Amino acid sequence: MTFKKTLGLASVLALTAGLAHADSTVRFWYHFDNADNPMDDLVAAFEEANPGIKVEAENIPWNSYYDQLYTAIIGGSAPDAAMVKMFAQPRLVEMGALEPIGERVDAWDGKDGLQDNLLELTRAADGQTYYLPVQYVVLYLYYRPDMFEELGLAVPQTCDDFREAARALTRDTNGDGQINVYGFGFRGAGGGHDHWGSFTLGREGVSLTEGLTSEAGIAGTQFVADLFREDGVFPPSTPNDGFQEIIGTFKAGRTAMTIHHIGSANGMVEALGDNVSATVVPECGGGRWTAFGDESTAILSSAEDKEAAWKWISFLSSAGNNALFNEATGQLPVVKADTETWSLHPQRFVQATVDSLPFAELLPNVPETSDFVNTVWATAMQRVLIGDITAEQMNAQIADLYSN
Amino acid sequence: MTQADAPDRLHRRPLSRIVLPYAMLSPAVLVTLAIVFFPMVQTVWMSLHDYVLFRPHAFDFVGLKNFRTALNDEVFWISLRHTIIWMAATIPAQLLLGLVTALLLNQSFPWRPLARALIIIPWALPSVVIALMWVWIYDSNYGIANELLLRVGLIQRAIPWLANPDTALAAIILTLTWQGFPFFAVMILAGLQSIPRSYYEAASIDGASAWRQFWHITLPGISGVIVTAVLLRTIWVANSFDVIFVMTGGGPGYATHTLPLYAFIKARTNLDFGYGSAIATLFTLMLMVIVLLYLRRTGKAVQ
Repeated sequence: MTFKKTLGLASVLALTAGLAHADSTVRFWYHFDNADNPMDDLVAAFEEANPGIKVEAENIPWNSYYDQLYTAIIGGSAPDAAMVKMFAQPRLVEMGALEPIGERVDAWDGKDGLQDNLLELTRAADGQTYYLPVQYVVLYLYYRPDMFEELGLAVPQTCDDFREAARALTRDTNGDGQINVYGFGFRGAGGGHDHWGSFTLGREGVSLTEGLTSEAGIAGTQFVADLFREDGVFPPSTPNDGFQEIIGTFKAGRTAMTIHHIGSANGMVEALGDNVSATVVPECGGGRWTAFGDESTAILSSAEDKEAAWKWISFLSSAGNNALFNEATGQLPVVKADTETWSLHPQRFVQATVDSLPFAELLPNVPETSDFVNTVWATAMQRVLIGDITAEQMNAQIADLYSN
Repeated sequence: MTQADAPDRLHRRPLSRIVLPYAMLSPAVLVTLAIVFFPMVQTVWMSLHDYVLFRPHAFDFVGLKNFRTALNDEVFWISLRHTIIWMAATIPAQLLLGLVTALLLNQSFPWRPLARALIIIPWALPSVVIALMWVWIYDSNYGIANELLLRVGLIQRAIPWLANPDTALAAIILTLTWQGFPFFAVMILAGLQSIPRSYYEAASIDGASAWRQFWHITLPGISGVIVTAVLLRTIWVANSFDVIFVMTGGGPGYATHTLPLYAFIKARTNLDFGYGSAIATLFTLMLMVIVLLYLRRTGKAVQ
């Protein structure tokens, strides 16, 4: 009798627990450029495996992703979990908006399946773990092998080679007296700091936090300015060109080189076939630098059901799911097992990514990086490109930002 | 019973008459207070503080520091200069184009109703759509503006209209002129139709030329409408930054920064709400001065 009663009570309790759980909703924010969005499939698979948890995944446009995220956090309507990049981490930590997930990660059986070192790279300055990596890319140089061959040019290894090649590639190919192919598609608007970084931050003794105002640092910015103003190897619209423009003009055959990551590789192959390849960025001033493009997921401290949120984000970084996720973003999976079976990208682009890893770096893990990425870099670079300020002034502005 | 009721009702009527207007007005007033006046006061209050959104716990009173910073800020003055050019070019251009359009539409010709309907299209389109449309028109690779000018032979090579600091602001002014002139056209057309035909008949019997008729009958007849329309447009154009934001984001460099845009970028992108509010407050004050001066002068002229 007592046993039955206890059993009855236990099942009631279990039922209530189950019911209470049924109310759980994870609001998740992410940003996909790709119209071919697999999120619904992922959500459906997750909800089937975790009855009682509902996922409301919202695709936020990239251009205002962080504006919206910060505002939502302050306004008390933050999502429970979100896709996040490293440059935003110091600011989010300062806002107290992130939930530490170190213990959950340690107890998670998927931890050892992640690519080596990724959890180290995404650890916060305070030693805590807030981010769970979900995808990564490394930026490299896209080029047109057919154009290089036509002109008898070698793939550039150094900044000097690069400049020479870009000048030769800038030409009028249809004989109407107008230049219609430019050597390099430079991203002058927001997000182009990675391009500038490859020409500037690889130089000896130069980084965002030191040496930027040295001769070597200024030479990097001046190199970019000269390419545009003296050599005219960037398209004239460069100061306003963003992601769409640099990719679009390269695909349309109006530029012969540009810098981006494997995320755009399949689109480029679709447009250009074998006439597109990739290599590491050139060595400038004695060293190479390229951007490590990270993307993680995090639980926000305001999340109601953190356990449910954890289940969802760890689901995205698990074998199989992570591959599906990355098939949509066109980036690389963080799960080893998924990397081994990875066949989505032609080998030459995977190779260029792997070759770039040794000198790929993240931007400094400090709050100033947000302003650097969002406003300071683009405004200063545009002013240099249009001749409003000098390379020296631009580097001084950035050094100023980081010295505060 | 009825005798006792009558004086009561008489007594009640005036009271309800007194209360009724307030009761009818109060929803509108309350809503205005809540969504316009309260945020305005809040903006002024924020402008007196160091308030950076990603440091939500620091809200320190700093007095007029943000205003002093603004007056010493190079970008503030660049933005102010652009705002003045922006308003001084856009509004007269819209007015003139609107006036000409209205005079044309006031003539009788076949298809006039269709023309009147078509002319309203730019005004009816959302600003973001207009901005994106014109970004493509100005595009230096595929844009129709360059294509036409190249074919006609007016330019030798494609011009990056929005990426060139010398043309970016003018290009956006042209876009906004196109968007805003239908408003003037429609307002002025309404004004034109309220002028009695008999005035023109009398004037032509007296031998007045078309120009004299325009100067002495048409223009005074629509002056009230023009004053109101210019006032409304001044405020709207001054505050509108959506088209600029979508077309150039204020770039290249600061080439298309205006004050409302600068305030927006400071607050929304840099999350510096204290400083952004200070810029917005300064701009509101300037705009109020312009509006008051304008109303004084034109008010007299119209009378």
